[in-house]
Amino acid sequence: MLSLTLQALFSGVLAGGYYAMVAVGLALVFGTMRIINLAHGELVLLAAYVAYAAESQYGLNPVMAIPFALVIVGASAALVYALLSRIDQDREINSLILTFGLGIILTNAVLMIWAADIHSTTAPWFQESVVVADTLFAMRSEVVFFVGGLVLMAGVHGWLNHSWQGRAVRALSSNRNAAKLMGVNPRRTEILSFLVAALLATFAGIAIYTGKTIFPSLGHVMTVKAFIITVLAGMGSIPGVLIGAVMIGCIESLTVTYVSASLQELAGMILFLVVLFVMPSGLFGGRKAIAR
Amino acid sequence: MVRMTGLMTAAIALTLALGAPIAADAKDYLLGSQLPLSGNLARVGQGMSEGIAVAVDLANRQYAGKHSFKVTTIDDETSPAKGVAAVEKLIAQGAVALTGGYGSNIIGPASEAAQKAGVVYITSGGVTPDLTGRSYKTFFRINNTEGYAKAMIGLLGDMQVKKVSVVYLNKEATSNLAKQVQADLSAKGVTVGMHEFDGATSDFKPLLNKVKLQDRPDAIAMVGYENDYVGVLRAAKVLKPDVKAVVGVWSLATAQMAKEFPDLMENVFGTSMLPYPVEFTQPEAIEFSKSYSRLFNKEPDYLGQFGYVQTKLLIEAVLRADEAGTLDKGGLADELRKTDAQTLIGRVTFDEKGDNPNFSHRMGQHQQGKVVLVWPRDAANGAMNFPARPW
Repeated sequence: MLSLTLQALFSGVLAGGYYAMVAVGLALVFGTMRIINLAHGELVLLAAYVAYAAESQYGLNPVMAIPFALVIVGASAALVYALLSRIDQDREINSLILTFGLGIILTNAVLMIWAADIHSTTAPWFQESVVVADTLFAMRSEVVFFVGGLVLMAGVHGWLNHSWQGRAVRALSSNRNAAKLMGVNPRRTEILSFLVAALLATFAGIAIYTGKTIFPSLGHVMTVKAFIITVLAGMGSIPGVLIGAVMIGCIESLTVTYVSASLQELAGMILFLVVLFVMPSGLFGGRKAIAR
Repeated sequence: MVRMTGLMTAAIALTLALGAPIAADAKDYLLGSQLPLSGNLARVGQGMSEGIAVAVDLANRQYAGKHSFKVTTIDDETSPAKGVAAVEKLIAQGAVALTGGYGSNIIGPASEAAQKAGVVYITSGGVTPDLTGRSYKTFFRINNTEGYAKAMIGLLGDMQVKKVSVVYLNKEATSNLAKQVQADLSAKGVTVGMHEFDGATSDFKPLLNKVKLQDRPDAIAMVGYENDYVGVLRAAKVLKPDVKAVVGVWSLATAQMAKEFPDLMENVFGTSMLPYPVEFTQPEAIEFSKSYSRLFNKEPDYLGQFGYVQTKLLIEAVLRADEAGTLDKGGLADELRKTDAQTLIGRVTFDEKGDNPNFSHRMGQHQQGKVVLVWPRDAANGAMNFPARPW
């Protein structure tokens, strides 16, 4: 019983790390622009497919593909931003429609280029066991990218709190007009937040490629999960995203262990609804929550 | 100028003279195909569409100058509503019959639309008993849950395992198959642990840990799709439960899985009509393989094989019905029901519900990058490794 519970919690925390890496990028863009980028999951997927292409065609280790993936995902994110920035009216609803459409285009582009087969890394190093105290089991890729993800998220958190550009992102999130009066260039700051989100998406995509399987429709699934976590955390709260993601991961994992694996998504949604019922702004929510 | 006109007139007259008898007999037949070419089932939909294309290609070669066949395919995007719309559109375009469909939840409403229009719908993409339980006159299927269960039970019977954990996806077809396997194994005195999971599950370690610590089975039986198998096998590789075999069903003992996941697949069992590398000995099978390779530049897989067989049987029935003058009068379903053919998947006949009672699958095992057929014994091209784990 104890072994089952400990393994469930361990798996839940590691799964939460994956979820958080995807969700932080979404939360960052929302915090800066008040836009929900429904193509964010597809950007994660694109990074994963670049890693696949690099490994299958050039024999590159997926980690070595990060620079290439970063360039492609960064360029795609910049394109998404360029299109979003042309929206003049009803920005929130029109941006939802635009990014949803871009997500579909990206999914179908992936389908056309790489077909619908499932893929994952063939490098066995990533799938080797990591065993803690003969009780907790994980794949090496899960542990490596969980730790790497934590470092990256801490870096983003530090950047938001301690760098001028990071403070500009927060200022823009807090009060756009006041930030402009203080000399913040909104366009430059917004595109910067998109590029940081692209960096997170790239890392998340490589993590997923090494630990899970990828297929074209996965992007939409990741967007939905990231959106739930972002709302659960409180729109725009980056530390909240990590905690919310780990909570979702653990509740899903415990449900698999003690109830049924079929109900894990339902359990996550019930947690989400209960939190929103008790705390309508999310766990760490508020209109100006970014990087708190 | 006059000479040129004369030559052209002569050429037209000659063409008409030679072509007239052929044109009088030749007929063009349009087949409709509704398949998931995007969405979750895109890969399997693509596989089946390749088999359908091979059947049409071979029919056009066989009946060249007499009849020609064309297939129009509409992507249902793995959506039941779009499947219905696709069927209605294909029928409106004049399709004489429909071949395709993947996913029982999509085939159900799509074939219902075909039934309402009185158009034949033949498939190999949905195995749930509910589809044939409706007893539609126009619905036909060449494979079914029973055939997959027979193969899995037969193999586990040969292994003489006493405890089995069934890990299955909670979709209609996979649940039905898992429950049939449970019932058949229980009837033989085997202890069965059932573990359902959702399609969104990507981390199977908590589930496999239950299997390892609570069930302690001799074998794990997986009923799902490719990404589920990979997830289960990776979790099992990490947790290393003390089992003697890991067995699955469709989409597992394939060339694609052998190539894509060589480190996971060794010793894993799955349903497979064909060994890999493919070994064909019958003339029809060799012709199928050649045509497939020519059209798609790769070796055929089971999806292509099923798509080919269902479409070939349909084309033959269309020709018979047309010859009898009943094609436009709803005679195609009657002709299809008269089918009794030896095919690449074995004997095919259709009962009153449109099901193929002869269907029984074979089991293959991944062995050093190949898929070796190991069950039934009369179809085996190698011995099974047992006990043998994938890790």
